[in-house]
Amino acid sequence: MYDAPTMEVLLGITGKDFTLIAASKAAMRGATVLKASDDKTRALNKHTLMAFSGEAGDTVQFAEYIQANAQLYSMRNEADLSPSALANFVRGELASSLRSRKPYHVNLLLGGVDPITHKSRLYWLDYLAALAPVPYAAHGYAQYYCLSILDKHHHPDISLGQGIKLLNLCTDELKRRLPIDFKGMVVKAVTKDGIIDIEFDDDKVVHAA
Amino acid sequence: MSSPFSINGGACVAMVGKDCVAIACDLRLGLQALTVSNNFPKIFQYGDNVFLGLTGLATDVNTVSDLFRWKVNMYRLREERQIAPRTFANLVSSSLYEKRFGPYFVSPVVAGLDPKTGRPFICGFDSIGCIDFAKDFIVSGTASEQLFGMCESLWEPDLDADALFETISQSLLNAVDRDALSGWGAHVYIIEKDKVTKRLLKGRQD
Amino acid sequence: MDTLVARYSRPAYQQENQFDDIEEYDYAADSVSGPSLKFAMPPVAHPSSWLRAATDDRSNPHCPIKIAHGTTTLAFRFQGGIIVATDSRATAGNWIASQTVKKVIEINSDLLGTMAGGAADCQYWLAWLGMQCRLHELRHKRRISVAAASKILANLVYQYKGMGLSMGTMCAGVTKEEGPALYYIDSDGTRLAGNLFCVGSGQTFAYGVLDAEYRYDLTVEEALELGSRSILAATHRDAYSGGFINLYHVKESGWEKHGFTDTNPVFWKTKLEKAEFSNVTSDFSEEV
Repeated sequence: MYDAPTMEVLLGITGKDFTLIAASKAAMRGATVLKASDDKTRALNKHTLMAFSGEAGDTVQFAEYIQANAQLYSMRNEADLSPSALANFVRGELASSLRSRKPYHVNLLLGGVDPITHKSRLYWLDYLAALAPVPYAAHGYAQYYCLSILDKHHHPDISLGQGIKLLNLCTDELKRRLPIDFKGMVVKAVTKDGIIDIEFDDDKVVHAA
Repeated sequence: MSSPFSINGGACVAMVGKDCVAIACDLRLGLQALTVSNNFPKIFQYGDNVFLGLTGLATDVNTVSDLFRWKVNMYRLREERQIAPRTFANLVSSSLYEKRFGPYFVSPVVAGLDPKTGRPFICGFDSIGCIDFAKDFIVSGTASEQLFGMCESLWEPDLDADALFETISQSLLNAVDRDALSGWGAHVYIIEKDKVTKRLLKGRQD
Repeated sequence: MDTLVARYSRPAYQQENQFDDIEEYDYAADSVSGPSLKFAMPPVAHPSSWLRAATDDRSNPHCPIKIAHGTTTLAFRFQGGIIVATDSRATAGNWIASQTVKKVIEINSDLLGTMAGGAADCQYWLAWLGMQCRLHELRHKRRISVAAASKILANLVYQYKGMGLSMGTMCAGVTKEEGPALYYIDSDGTRLAGNLFCVGSGQTFAYGVLDAEYRYDLTVEEALELGSRSILAATHRDAYSGGFINLYHVKESGWEKHGFTDTNPVFWKTKLEKAEFSNVTSDFSEEV
């Protein structure tokens, strides 16, 4: 009934005043890697970022539909929606699509910083449109390897540097145990000042114990 | 095992006491064996003393709780008064039956006190709106069999608020400890005439 | 001897009647009492497919026989020997059938086996393996190596391949010749030597924590803590793992038990003292 997890990696970690979002760079079709520099994220506004994985085609279509509507709202109202408002909007769209003739099959992480309270926020959404606010999250097989690492090493008030170290701990484990190469990660940090691209070392070789 | 009702897991129970009612739920959100969140409450408030517990498919727990927030807000604007538990139960029933041929995969539980008489009211539903009125307790979720066992043995009539809290808490905690898909903490609401007490229970985290 | 050579010199698939052959299979001359190799077969054309239809609760949730599944077990080699740790939960579907299962099987005073998959399969065959190890000692007047013991088990389960045995087990022991030795054996017939294995539905969660801090030169204290913490991680995230942490340390002088500890107090101690598990709410103050 529930779809088997995929090899696409999505990770999200909140910290003191930022939210980190990371997505694997491989675009895979069957046994082929079509692209090794894919960006599975879209910025919804200045302080909200969405990462997506799932059915080919559906992912980008849905993400850009949401992105366009978020931007339209910002233009009409001269105010951005908060991460929580956006999360609930996305959930509503995905939930109504779920009971339509052709549902979007997309798993999402929505990360951001609340523009008023400056608190970091992260939302986990699966393709059934179940929404949960979480301090850290993952999608696909990455959940099975990384959540236990994050349970041990995450603290709510970590700095950006510590957050990136934590992300490295996760990707090292994925390189060690996942049977395929996910071609490294696109990493972005959302802060109150906007979304920053983070340089991330993809070339580190990890050996299994 | 892979029915929509047992993908995410969860448990909910409501009980009647003397001039009070209690409703409690677990906090787990899972994807089959994987626990995704330990902070996914399944009880929602729709008035001073009207509560709805929702177990089943998590997306429908979200959808149905949002839907009733909208419907109850509209009711309050139109009627200029709060909705009564029995009225709310009928609203839940008819709203679920509207989706008779494509149901929400939820098992709702309503608990509250009648605003006029102060009498306890609890009821449960199947996923397409059949109401199950009860004088004692209502259970729902993946641990419902365990909850039936616990409630049948622990519940007795005319419990006061403190005894009711103890009874519902023990029933829920011990039931979810025998269910792989629910647990990871719990919320308990004790609803008295002009006081609602919410407590967070420290449950096993395995 | 000739008959034995004849038997071993042809592959299993050429044997005409596999079931009869297994019954005759002469591991212990079958004169000793104890675990036997004589199994009653259901009187149907294809016993293995019939059994699968009756017991596979994944493809058929309403199957009449539910075999206990779901586990986290781990074992790793380090400078001071081998750490073996398991949870203790048995589930049948979503029902928690037991929280006090002993998933570490004491094959003898030197060797440990772990249990994942079919509980009965593991218990039976590891008990049987204990018997084989004892017979080896009596025949050869010295302890069996871990390599040999694990191979006896691997060969045995391979004989039954395709007939529905379900086990994922690890054999751990320390001998003079081998040092700390660890083998993974499963019912497919895989047998692997290695430094570190996690087996069961919660394996990935245990791997996550274990891999991040594993080193061969861990001290005994660090190793015990890491083993225990990895099981705790798995019991927290995997619904089918939980109960108690069963912890062992295997040394050359034999194994040593380090407790059968309830996860609940361990979890809250870990959370409140080390501020881990920040996803779990711990503010229990009353709200109105």
